[in-house]
Amino acid sequence: MTDTTTGGATGGGSGWHVPEEDLRAYARGELAAPLLWSADTHLAACAHCRGVLADVGDPVALDAGWERLDAELDAPRPGLLEGLLLRCGVADHTARLLAATPGLRRSWLGAVAAVLLLTVTVAAGHPAGGSPVLFLALAPLLPLAGVALSYGPALDPTYEMAVVAPTHGFRLLMIRTVAVLAVGLGLNGLATLALPGYGLRALGWLLPALALTATGLALTARLGPVLAPSLVGGGWIALLVTAEAARVNADDPLAPFTAAGQGVSALVAVLAAGLLVLLRDRFDAGRAHAA
Amino acid sequence: MTPTVSASGLSLRHGGTRALDDVSLRLSAGVTGLLGPNGAGKTTLLRVLATAVPADRGSFTVLGHDPGTSRGRQEVRRRLGYLPQTPGFHPDFTAFEFVDYVAILKELTDRAARHREVRRVLDEVGLGGVRGKRIRKLSGGMRQRVALAAALVGDPGFLVLDEPTVGLDPEQRMRFRELIAQAGEGRTVLLSTHQTEDVAMLCHRVVVLAGGTVRFDGTPAELTARAAGRVWSSTERDPGAKAGWRTGLGTFRNVGDPPAGADLLEPTLEDGYLLTLDGAGTEVAA
Repeated sequence: MTDTTTGGATGGGSGWHVPEEDLRAYARGELAAPLLWSADTHLAACAHCRGVLADVGDPVALDAGWERLDAELDAPRPGLLEGLLLRCGVADHTARLLAATPGLRRSWLGAVAAVLLLTVTVAAGHPAGGSPVLFLALAPLLPLAGVALSYGPALDPTYEMAVVAPTHGFRLLMIRTVAVLAVGLGLNGLATLALPGYGLRALGWLLPALALTATGLALTARLGPVLAPSLVGGGWIALLVTAEAARVNADDPLAPFTAAGQGVSALVAVLAAGLLVLLRDRFDAGRAHAA
Repeated sequence: MTPTVSASGLSLRHGGTRALDDVSLRLSAGVTGLLGPNGAGKTTLLRVLATAVPADRGSFTVLGHDPGTSRGRQEVRRRLGYLPQTPGFHPDFTAFEFVDYVAILKELTDRAARHREVRRVLDEVGLGGVRGKRIRKLSGGMRQRVALAAALVGDPGFLVLDEPTVGLDPEQRMRFRELIAQAGEGRTVLLSTHQTEDVAMLCHRVVVLAGGTVRFDGTPAELTARAAGRVWSSTERDPGAKAGWRTGLGTFRNVGDPPAGADLLEPTLEDGYLLTLDGAGTEVAA
């Protein structure tokens, strides 16, 4: 969009107006963002450009344009997370669904960051050579907890309204899971970068995190959103305690963080994801939360 | 006339409790009141009809669609408006954002059309002027109206309202009754309530539920008529009455089987309701 100064400025007083070719594109509904946003804003305040638009556009397309302008003017200003998602190209309706995700609230993300900071500090205080056990043990639980916090009657205040809406429950669950998982894994990844002395061993949390999250979700279909992740989290801790008891040499990694353990985690993640897909209709029938 | 909702033999157990026991009913256009004491199964019935929870036995259709199948359930949900007993809100959302969120869940993804619909329903419940306000800053009555606006998104043919007037002051309750009456024009509304005045003022039909079973299904006038000749006045509480209380006039109003020569009073809907519950629970033994 250029400064054309096509006559006396009746809107805004700056002398600037939307170029006629842009107004023609606007009238046809073909003007793309960000020019569209500029035109929308300017048209709201400029009678001159509205007059030009009325001359160049057909009435039906013009009505549609006004409707869009009306909707834009009335639209609420998106919050921090929603604005960020929109700037990343996420559709506005998906961004609104994600803005309502409990597992993406600042309070939760702050708690996750605090836990990671603590564990990284503990790990960094130990001499290199072993494994950052506390960090590797806790990091897989954080995405699991984040996803568990994002679905179900206990933690989602609008769950009851969401479950009777025509949007498939599984779709909503997956949208939220992908977002929470991406943020959770991102935070874990940043924490891993803070432990360069451990090399790739510090990434040993990744596959267990995927396995725990997928297993927790698959079991949620049968056991509900509280019991399932609690059992999975408890099982993970029991596994680590058992592995610790079975460890011969104190410098050896715990079994889940060995190559074989990582392979098992990958297999569990794939199997659980398959089971989750098979059970997807349970998230729609109002049964997933009943247990 | 084809009923909007047709339910047959609905049963559901919660643990060892039979929350619904062989409930059958047919609902058509207008406001139907669902009365019953605490634990009668009202909320359970509403949640089943709203497809929030499936029944163990029995079946029902909404506007000809069977929610027993995945496709049928989705069709029912497209035609449903639901205001739960305790509607939850995302604390940081404005009224507009919250209703917009529900509109997205109701598959309105086109931004302009969705925002137009959000404005329409907020105007309909009288909240057009506060649509930009955070929900946590709204009064309890306004929050209920936001939840009603969310239920009205998409102009549903079947509206399920679970005790929407609980906790509202008399003025707010009256305002809400106006909105429910307005919502009942041309669509089927099922209204669960403890307030017999709500039913008397709003409903063309009333269903009384107790112990998970239907105890009465008819018009408010028919429910009131159940107490004809069974309400009387006395200077002392009549020990033979099923319920009796001192009125503001200082005399006792008794409900039950009157003694000979009793000073009979005009019955109300509440009298008929109390007599219908007789034997169905403890509520009558007041």
